[in-house]
Amino acid sequence: MKAIKLFSIIMLFFAARVSAQEISSVDLQVTGLTCSMCSNATQKSLETLSFINTIKPDLNKNIFVLTFKKNANINLDLILKKVKDAGFSVGSLTADFNFNQLKIDDKGQATVDGNVYRFANAKNKTLNGMVKAEVIDKDFISGSSFKKQAKTANSDAYASGTGIVNGKKTRIFHLIVS
Amino acid sequence: MRKVFVLMLILTGNYTSVFSQELFVFTEPASNMPKKSVGVRITNEGMNNPSFMTRTIPEVMFGISKNLMVHGQAFLSNMDGSYRLEGGSLYAKYRFLSIDESQTHFRASAFGRISTSKRPTFSRDINLEGDNSGYQGGLILTQLLHKLALSATLGYAHSFRDNQKQVASMPQPNNMLSYSLSSGYLVLPVVYKNYKQPNFNVYFELLGKTDPSSGASYLDLAPALQVILNSTTRIDLGYRFQATGNVANRYAKNMYLIRAEFNFFNVL
Repeated sequence: MKAIKLFSIIMLFFAARVSAQEISSVDLQVTGLTCSMCSNATQKSLETLSFINTIKPDLNKNIFVLTFKKNANINLDLILKKVKDAGFSVGSLTADFNFNQLKIDDKGQATVDGNVYRFANAKNKTLNGMVKAEVIDKDFISGSSFKKQAKTANSDAYASGTGIVNGKKTRIFHLIVS
Repeated sequence: MRKVFVLMLILTGNYTSVFSQELFVFTEPASNMPKKSVGVRITNEGMNNPSFMTRTIPEVMFGISKNLMVHGQAFLSNMDGSYRLEGGSLYAKYRFLSIDESQTHFRASAFGRISTSKRPTFSRDINLEGDNSGYQGGLILTQLLHKLALSATLGYAHSFRDNQKQVASMPQPNNMLSYSLSSGYLVLPVVYKNYKQPNFNVYFELLGKTDPSSGASYLDLAPALQVILNSTTRIDLGYRFQATGNVANRYAKNMYLIRAEFNFFNVL
């Protein structure tokens, strides 16, 4: 009986880990393209990423809706790289995050599973459940928007996208909760 | 029949007033092909000069990096009698500027070409796609505004001097300045549904050359139609004719062009 209880607790923990995929989907707006051959090139480039499950394109708005494989390590920088490799740019990237009582400190910073996020419009706050947020780092938004954000950003890591966390140089993503 | 065909091209071009996407038929855009992709082209050109002559150009294109692409071409023609391999060319293009916004972009690239040809020389004109041995360098600027693409190319070509190939008492090539303005417009589809939908583009290009030493020049008008199938295969149909010019024995005068291009993504 005790063994079963223990087993179910372990299973529950496991289930929780599985469902707690940090990002469930991404709306990726790609800029610089208008023809379907360009969109196709972008799609084919994104398809080489092993952590992507599905890609649904809107060929008129040039938005790709990405979903991810379970427990896969999602790398937003690789998504950006694949769009650039196809010859285009990212106009915006909005992700559906699943946060489990995520505590944002007084600097707007929070860490989930080793990923460090800085929130431009949230601090001293706890986020829980599904949160839609836009990545505002360099090359994830247009050059002009980046310049604008850089003027008001309170983060010393904004320009480079990296900062020192616990004594180690770390990638820091900057987010705006929508 | 040919006249009707030409007239049709011109009328189609004029009717749609300004033109399509940036996969230009007679020039290259500043944009590159995707990294790790390979393209294969087969082009056929033909003209009456004075009798009918035709050239076939097989071509392979590689997307080396997101900014660098390379083309290799072979030239086969019956311009000096029977059909033969007359030469080849290597072309490289490097994109050094890219400003992308939603459904618009501005790109700038530099290109270089080196070519060889067995053909005899008898004109000051330089055509490094089959007729001359030499090299060329230049700049391309391309602006895309939703369905309209505009592009400008500026190039400078030098012909390798080879007295054995020179036809006696005929003009000899040395240097040639080339310039072009291209426009393209996406006509169909008006609204995209999927990748399988054919795209239909119309083009109108102005192609000019000037010999800097003599000042002799010419300007061609070049309308073209293009269909893109399955978002991977492209078919071009174009015609260039001389609007004005005084370069003796020039190449590619009043020439048609038919091309098929196949693209393969993520193969390198």
